[in-house]
Amino acid sequence: MLKVQNVSKNFGDLKALNDISFDVSDGQILGLIGQNGAGKSTTFHSILNFLHYEGTITWNNQPLTEANFNEIGYLPEERSLMPKLTIEQQIIYLARLKNKSAKEIKPLIDDWLKKFAVKGTKKDKIKDLSKGNQQKVQLICTLIHDPKLIILDEPFSGLDPVNSDLLKQAILDAKKRGAAIIFSSHDMENVEELCDKLIMLRDGQIVLYGTVREVRQSFGKTRIYVTTDKTIEELAMMEHVVAAKPLEEQRFMLDLDDETSGKIVFDELTHGQYIEEFNQQPPTLNEIFKLKAGEHHE
Amino acid sequence: MNKLWIVTFETFLRQVKSWSFVMLLLGPFLMFGITMGAGYLGAMTGTSSEKIAIISDNQQLRTGFIKSNSDDVDKKITEKSVATKKMNKNKLVGYLILKADKQKVSAQYVGTRALGSNQKGRINNYLVATQQQLNFANAKLSPNQTKSLQQQPVLKQTVQKKTGTANLAKKISFWVTVIMVYIILITYTTITAQEIASEKGTKIMEIIFSSTTAGKYFLGKVFGVLLVILTQILVYLIGGWGGYVYAQHASLTKNFMTQYHTLINSVLRNLLSINLIYLLLGVVIYTILAAFSGALVSKAEDAPKAAQPVIMLNMIAFFVTFPFQNNIDSIVPKILSYVPFLSSYFMPLRIINNDASGVEIVISILVLLASIFLLATYIGKIYQGLMLQTDDSSFWKRFKRGLSYNK
Repeated sequence: MLKVQNVSKNFGDLKALNDISFDVSDGQILGLIGQNGAGKSTTFHSILNFLHYEGTITWNNQPLTEANFNEIGYLPEERSLMPKLTIEQQIIYLARLKNKSAKEIKPLIDDWLKKFAVKGTKKDKIKDLSKGNQQKVQLICTLIHDPKLIILDEPFSGLDPVNSDLLKQAILDAKKRGAAIIFSSHDMENVEELCDKLIMLRDGQIVLYGTVREVRQSFGKTRIYVTTDKTIEELAMMEHVVAAKPLEEQRFMLDLDDETSGKIVFDELTHGQYIEEFNQQPPTLNEIFKLKAGEHHE
Repeated sequence: MNKLWIVTFETFLRQVKSWSFVMLLLGPFLMFGITMGAGYLGAMTGTSSEKIAIISDNQQLRTGFIKSNSDDVDKKITEKSVATKKMNKNKLVGYLILKADKQKVSAQYVGTRALGSNQKGRINNYLVATQQQLNFANAKLSPNQTKSLQQQPVLKQTVQKKTGTANLAKKISFWVTVIMVYIILITYTTITAQEIASEKGTKIMEIIFSSTTAGKYFLGKVFGVLLVILTQILVYLIGGWGGYVYAQHASLTKNFMTQYHTLINSVLRNLLSINLIYLLLGVVIYTILAAFSGALVSKAEDAPKAAQPVIMLNMIAFFVTFPFQNNIDSIVPKILSYVPFLSSYFMPLRIINNDASGVEIVISILVLLASIFLLATYIGKIYQGLMLQTDDSSFWKRFKRGLSYNK
């Protein structure tokens, strides 16, 4: 288990992290969200001991030291490999730095290339690969030594939907074998789909923390999807409706002032009659993200 | 294998497998080969054109001349017509017709250019000696009278060869040392700074530092470069020894090697001494600084710029030696021979000049070693912070942020 307790980091006058605490258990996936500059990469850098910080970070109740480096698989935000090496040389070099011998890794390379559908052979040079294939090779380098703690900084950026699915599957495989996984993403769908827990950072502080369900529920079921023959103007004028937005023909999205107002709005729309659709939900993660980020700008 | 050695060997292998290193290694041998080949070809083509033919009806006279001047003569040509043809083809300088009757010896030279003073002197000596023999025979002198007339004056000269050669050896050693140190330092600081800067530019450092500590990685890089230079020195020592042995036996260089044997040995002794330690330690301290310099740039495109500050320092050290080539025993070189970055130039020069005692050498090496240790420790400590700054902000902003990683 990874435990981050009261971690703070300043760069001069800038408070990059302000007293953050969270944990990730084995076989659990934690999503880290936040706007650019919110402190996501600094959090990763602190866990990886790249910088000095205040607070405590432990791995299985022990401070994280060089001895744990072999158990970590890290994919940084900036995609980077050594362009002059072949795929095989690159994977073996980085795996050797994780204390795996070339003998152990060599037989695995073909399977991993297949798993990620990398175009080309292991003898191709990195510089000759497309950007997408380079990214996949880097993911292989991150995962091939079966790390117990996986840290992925924006792993989905630049991947098309097909390759995103391949990566999701690899993440789920790692979860299945008991790895603790943290990844940052701007794509809330991926976070919602994969994560057991999520954290939202803003200006180095945690503003949201919990399971995806908990976070969404905490905002209340203030969103209604409704199919009705009323006009948008009529809907907008209704009591407790703070916003109304047309979606399709006769289908609308309403935002309520409070979760409990749902019953009142339902009664007014139906008058005890059949209605094709009335669906009351909490806001999506994407909306919560925008809402929380918006609070900052207000 | 320890991660330090994985980085060391990866750096070493990447360098030695590159074409630039192979060319760097083979360069001096190619130059040596080209020089020898050109010299040999020149000598081959020059053999015929520098020689003369001896034409004479008197076989004894001809043989006598050839015996005492074999290097100047093309022995095969015995007829004027053949000699003329060869002269027209530029394969002979000229021919000498030797005649002798009972009273007089005479010679006539016909050539494409005038005889050189040495050659003229040798022909004249032969003619005088032959004429003298004829004169003695005609004068019918007694053996004692003949002996008295053959008495020659004596001129003796004594040259203090040892001191003269030693001074020349010092001068040659001075220049060879400073140029060698300068070139090697320039080469390796450039290689190191560019290697680190381009690696930083690829932004792979975060992955590397998630596997090993920055300190180990930094030392691995420095050790890798050191292994490269040790390989280069080893190849040069073996190749140089082979070239030396070859030159001692090759017809083209044999005379030169014999003539300058003492001088060459003195120069080699000056170079292959403790000065090699200074060269190695110089490479280490400059490499550490070059690694630091490489870590300060942000983009791979800036890699060539990375080496510039270290190259400038090396150039300053190189040019500062110039004014002291004739007064290396003055106070300034003495002080500079203890200053890190400069001692790699100045102490070897003092050692060549027999101006440094054993204690002074030990103190200078200790100061250099301590500086290397302190510099490596400090840079190793801030290296991680610097290497992780890859944004496009200003140099000072990156530098300050890099330093704040450790605070």
